[in-house]
Amino acid sequence: MLAGSTSMSGFDRMSAAPATPSDDSPAIERFLREVERRALRMAEFAVGNREEALDLVQDAMFGFVRNYATRASTEWPPLFWRVLDSRINDWHRRQRVRNRWLGWFERNGSDDEQDDPIVSAPDPGEPGPLARLADGEAGIALEAALRALPLRQRQAFLLRLWEGLDVADTAAAMRCSEGSVKTHLSRALTNLRVALEKHR
Amino acid sequence: MNTHPHQPERSAPVTEEAWVERAIALLDESAHGLDAATVSRLNRARQSALAPRRSQRRGWMIGGSFAAAAIALVLALGLGHRPLPGALSPTDGAQDDLDALVDDDSPDLYENLDFYAWLDVQQQGGNG
Repeated sequence: MLAGSTSMSGFDRMSAAPATPSDDSPAIERFLREVERRALRMAEFAVGNREEALDLVQDAMFGFVRNYATRASTEWPPLFWRVLDSRINDWHRRQRVRNRWLGWFERNGSDDEQDDPIVSAPDPGEPGPLARLADGEAGIALEAALRALPLRQRQAFLLRLWEGLDVADTAAAMRCSEGSVKTHLSRALTNLRVALEKHR
Repeated sequence: MNTHPHQPERSAPVTEEAWVERAIALLDESAHGLDAATVSRLNRARQSALAPRRSQRRGWMIGGSFAAAAIALVLALGLGHRPLPGALSPTDGAQDDLDALVDDDSPDLYENLDFYAWLDVQQQGGNG
């Protein structure tokens, strides 16, 4: 199963690459520069909105630098993703509370167009980054399938397979057991495979 | 990402490897295909996150420089007042002058040192 595959995190990949002579920036800045784009995409999948995703990534960077900058650089990848995962979970909690209040107002006669889920749903005409690829159809399908996954399954898939954390580091980032990571990943693969079947 | 390290296990079905690798490649390309405005905002976010750490480090460096300068000044002053081994103390000559001044000997003695030296020789010769 893929859950047990050997891996190397993005930061390991970056560290293994020879540094350019002019690259004298501190290690933590290089680390953040290396992970920030994937972090943004991960947050975007989770919240479905680039502005919110940028806020979450910036928040995660602040929290990570404030709390973990002095830790050994080998510990950074799971710690950074843990901070981001925590921010994403907080965002979903806030959304649940907000939606509960909005639902109450809607039941009391508000039919404001702004609250219409169809209106506030992502515009299918907006292609997103994946759509600009050569195989745009597969990109759109993948993005849609990832967004349709439950949060924990998506995080397990992205952290374990895209970011390349091992099972233990993924569990640390998601604050769950290694067994849970394997379960979430297995379900994510099954769901994604079904959703992407026609693109295989 | 040109090369990707996430290689599925050999025991995984080939088709699963293929679509997972394809999915990861698409994700990599999507991350690298971010528009310039978004990349710029990520850069600003990173710089903002690192700013407190930089100012803290600059503060430590300034404090450390001051401490080093103070230690160097104290050492320089301390060594400046301590005579080097074998060197004459600047107060040695002054002490001799002071002794000469307070001595009971008459100043005439110093003016006729040759005479007193001759007299001394004569006396020793007479005694011998």
